[in-house]
Amino acid sequence: MIKVNNLNFGYSKHQPLFKNMSFQLSAGHIYGLLGKNGAGKSSLLKNLAGLVYAKSGTLDVFGFDPSSRQPAMLEQICFIPEEFYLPAIKIDAYLKANAPFYKNFNHDYFTDLMKEFDIPVSQKLTNMSYGQKKKVIIAFGLATQAKLIIMDEPTNGLDIPSKTQFRKIMASALTDDRCIVISTHQVRDLDNLIDTVIILDENNIALQASIEEITEKLTFKKVKEMDPSIIYAEPSLSGFHAVMPNYHQEDSKLDMELLFNAILTEKTKFKPYFN
Amino acid sequence: MSNIFNLNRFGLLLKRQWLDFGKVYLLTLVILVAVIFSFYCYFIPSPIGDNFDYDGNLDMRFRYGLFIFLGFLFISITSSSYFSILGQKPRAIQELMLPASTFEKFAGALFYTAFLAVISYLLIFYIIDLGFVKYVNSHLSEFKMESAKHSHLNGVESISKQVTSDKNYLTYLSSYFPIPFLVISIFLLGSVYFNRFHYIKTAISVAIFSAITFYMIYKASILFIGDKVMRNVMVQKDEILLWIFLVSAAITLSLWLITYIRLKEKEV
Amino acid sequence: MEFRDNKAIYLQIADYVCEHILLEKWKADEKVPSVREMAVELEVNPNTIMRTYELLQQQNIISNKRGIGFFVTEKAIDQVKNFRKAHFMDHELPVLFRNIYLLNISFEELKSKYETFVNENFNA
Repeated sequence: MIKVNNLNFGYSKHQPLFKNMSFQLSAGHIYGLLGKNGAGKSSLLKNLAGLVYAKSGTLDVFGFDPSSRQPAMLEQICFIPEEFYLPAIKIDAYLKANAPFYKNFNHDYFTDLMKEFDIPVSQKLTNMSYGQKKKVIIAFGLATQAKLIIMDEPTNGLDIPSKTQFRKIMASALTDDRCIVISTHQVRDLDNLIDTVIILDENNIALQASIEEITEKLTFKKVKEMDPSIIYAEPSLSGFHAVMPNYHQEDSKLDMELLFNAILTEKTKFKPYFN
Repeated sequence: MSNIFNLNRFGLLLKRQWLDFGKVYLLTLVILVAVIFSFYCYFIPSPIGDNFDYDGNLDMRFRYGLFIFLGFLFISITSSSYFSILGQKPRAIQELMLPASTFEKFAGALFYTAFLAVISYLLIFYIIDLGFVKYVNSHLSEFKMESAKHSHLNGVESISKQVTSDKNYLTYLSSYFPIPFLVISIFLLGSVYFNRFHYIKTAISVAIFSAITFYMIYKASILFIGDKVMRNVMVQKDEILLWIFLVSAAITLSLWLITYIRLKEKEV
Repeated sequence: MEFRDNKAIYLQIADYVCEHILLEKWKADEKVPSVREMAVELEVNPNTIMRTYELLQQQNIISNKRGIGFFVTEKAIDQVKNFRKAHFMDHELPVLFRNIYLLNISFEELKSKYETFVNENFNA
């Protein structure tokens, strides 16, 4: 669905953010985009949406070059930025003004989502909290039935019940013809929702693999003592949380935070497992 | 559906932009009406003052300056605010992600700044002016009573009638016709180009740019022709007016083109 | 449903389904929740649920009726027991054996421990 080839991008000439980055995303998945602050999570998402332009390389978003910003492409992309703006009008006025641009917009679905999110449709947008507004644009974005859903830190500003609502909604939003990309640094909010992990580091993608593939090759467990097979470990109350090769075909639960730290510190050691 | 221009989508866009732009615009209109109204109230000829000439014409000259000055302010402010939202990241993302083509978004800007703003300014000025003219004309007899030395007093004409009935005025009008659009195009470009303080920054850039241009022209003319030429070559007045028309129209069109390109290349 | 720390999510969900079948909350020939319903309820990626259902299908615990959904098989309870036994033999027993070996525990000792455990817990 999305093909990126040799992408080079940077805000200034001397500090490239991405160097020769190539990857593909396909429909039917929720991708979790992880990376340290400044690794370029938001920038990568903006590249996909055509909000910034690559220095070189090609991007193909379901057949469109995102930088051409064609309406036929834009109506298939739902972009939920971390910071957003909503005009000081009622929700139905907002809908009336914006929904007609999306020919697949589903009003019933929007109403359902608003109900799920506990937001009365007649409420004025100005009287809403940040979290409520965020829920409105998420509901609007999903109701456009876009093929590509891009979310930058969507759980920021949501309280605990809202996060639960959000996870339920996203679980139901994934269909076979949709591709969902979510950037987050709050991994624990989303770790059961993500099926493929993309880790950004040092101007490129350090890892792109499905949970299934990762747990096939690596195992995550608590150990009492360090041993040489452990590739990476973090001390815990009762020993260590460790990542090691999956010698015995164990089915362990992927600890995404541990994986993230492991990949960033021991990049070269993990490389052979994912090629 | 065309990816460049679709009338239906353009209509939707104009409607949507009204939600954002409309409020500022209407507010500016209200202020505009108030300002024009108070200027007229203050400067309108009254029987107490001595404001008519020996031909018996009432002095309404203040309205030309007012028309030009307010017109400049109004169209520059509206056009400088149109794309100002692109300076704010969260709003810019929404504007750029809206499924309409860049051309439609640009055409929307032209519709609001170059069409609607100009038309509404002319209309408002015309109506207020007409109202006051009617009012003064209906009280002409009071002028006569106050100043017995003028037995003969002419009625006042509305500004539009005055301009359109005079051949000289009409020539100037048609030659200077592109000038307001030039102002609009400059401030519209400024609103795309700068992220903050659009108006001030645009004004300053224009000042610096025109200062440099005039200085260069002055220097160049001295360099190439010295000071002896002007006496020999008498340029026709009509020709100058034609040049003013052509040059300002050309600059306007190219600024609009640049604005379109800037909009296409806008990144957030 | 609370997920535990160490077991793969899709297996924990399989356990969850098996539990429902053993407790007869979902009876033979009944429909189990669709992939989507399950994903929403557990706040989990639908692909994970799909993986669970594929596993349970392989184990003949549920079956897929095209276009209608997944159903509990007739012999699901037996299959669940078989499945759990196999899983115990393959995954939990080796860990146990390892400890038995490392700690030098004799089978006699184990046997008596096992018998008292059964007596205390199941023969009351």
